Amino acid sequence: MMMGDKKNIIEDGILEQYILGELHPSDEKYIEQVLASDKELKAHFDILEADFEKLGFENAITPPKSVKDNLIKDIRQSKSSLQNEKAFPSSNSFKFYFGIAASFAGLLLVSSIWLYSQLNKLESDFQTVQTDKKELNSKLDQLSKTYKESSEFYAVLSHPETKQYVLEGNDLMPDGKLVSYVNHNIKSVVINTEGLPELDADHDYQMWADVDGEMINMGIIDKTQPLLAMNYINHSESLNITVEPSGGSEHPTVERLVTNIYL
Amino acid sequence: MDETKPIFGKSLTLMQDDKTLITQLQQKDERALALLYDKYSGAIYSVILKMIKDESKAKDLLQETFITVWEKSYQYDADKGRFYTWVYRIAKNKVLNLLRKPIKLIQTDDFSVYKEKEEEISFDAEHLELKGALTKLKDHHKIAIEMVYFKGLTHREAHEEMGVPLGTFKSYIKQALKQLRTSYTKSVSFVLLMLTHV
Repeated sequence: MMMGDKKNIIEDGILEQYILGELHPSDEKYIEQVLASDKELKAHFDILEADFEKLGFENAITPPKSVKDNLIKDIRQSKSSLQNEKAFPSSNSFKFYFGIAASFAGLLLVSSIWLYSQLNKLESDFQTVQTDKKELNSKLDQLSKTYKESSEFYAVLSHPETKQYVLEGNDLMPDGKLVSYVNHNIKSVVINTEGLPELDADHDYQMWADVDGEMINMGIIDKTQPLLAMNYINHSESLNITVEPSGGSEHPTVERLVTNIYL
Repeated sequence: MDETKPIFGKSLTLMQDDKTLITQLQQKDERALALLYDKYSGAIYSVILKMIKDESKAKDLLQETFITVWEKSYQYDADKGRFYTWVYRIAKNKVLNLLRKPIKLIQTDDFSVYKEKEEEISFDAEHLELKGALTKLKDHHKIAIEMVYFKGLTHREAHEEMGVPLGTFKSYIKQALKQLRTSYTKSVSFVLLMLTHV
């Protein structure tokens, strides 16, 4: 609608239509702006508004009392429901905090289970480490022992007074031989077992020293060891090796002498 | 003229009271709503009744109007117009919305569709009777005002209904209001005259 100037607004009955709520919202806005800025027009408008109001009051019809009662009841209900809504957040906040507490409890449970499983794993890891440690210790002991032996062997073998004797096999052991290192100064005998043929599981080689015609046990030869320290026997005249039942004998089985050498 | 003071004093007090009441209403004061209802509900109820012509619906609409007044009171701006105008427009919109609603159809068990059974309308034709200064107007002036003010027709609808050009219709409204104003002023003068001679 073209509103035009003040004169048009008055003559075209636009103010009346505005009061009666007939105008389009955008036109209403325009009229409101004009009224706010034009005191004369506003004064005219005020009179019209008062006329309409007077008209309304002259024609008033008293409504039944029930309408007012219902109205008051209605707004009280909406008020109390609003208050209920306000009260509600506290129960919501209870739920909220309960939710947080429950979450924490859940987390605690999960983390406890995790920690327990970790503890078990750590315990088993610890067991493994303990076992490994034992193994390492025993290996270390073995290595230390081997090192000690090797050092002893080296001490014997490198000693200037050490003499080497090669015990060639006789007819019973034509291809076999044993190298022995004897040092009378430090009273040591070391043998190299590599030249001895393999025996069956029921037999071992055993070494003997001949002292005044008596054979004295120097020890069973452990074929698994390439170098082996034997018991040094004082005043030994010869070294002898026999094949004995597994575990060795107290007296040599002379028939099964496989090699010997005179010192 | 001393005696006239109470009249102006009273009307001033009323205006002042309205302003205070409206502020209290906007602060959700239930008592303020009740007092404003007491003052305005009669005029508004009359408009609603004349438009809808059904007492039961009119009561509901009046209640709904004042619930809106309660809920939307923050929207009322005294600089833009009178409180009565604001409530009048709310009520008028509510009635027009109801009148424009399509007729409800209901489906019955056998899937056939019937028009909703018309409820019994209770309406006293007396409610349509116009009162006050309006009755003293010429018929065409009276009808023009009745159409736009009490029947909810727009100027455009009303001029067609009356079978006169829009411009003519607008001048009817203007003249009618002018005469009403004159009679109001006369009645006030009459009251003043009476009071001065008591």
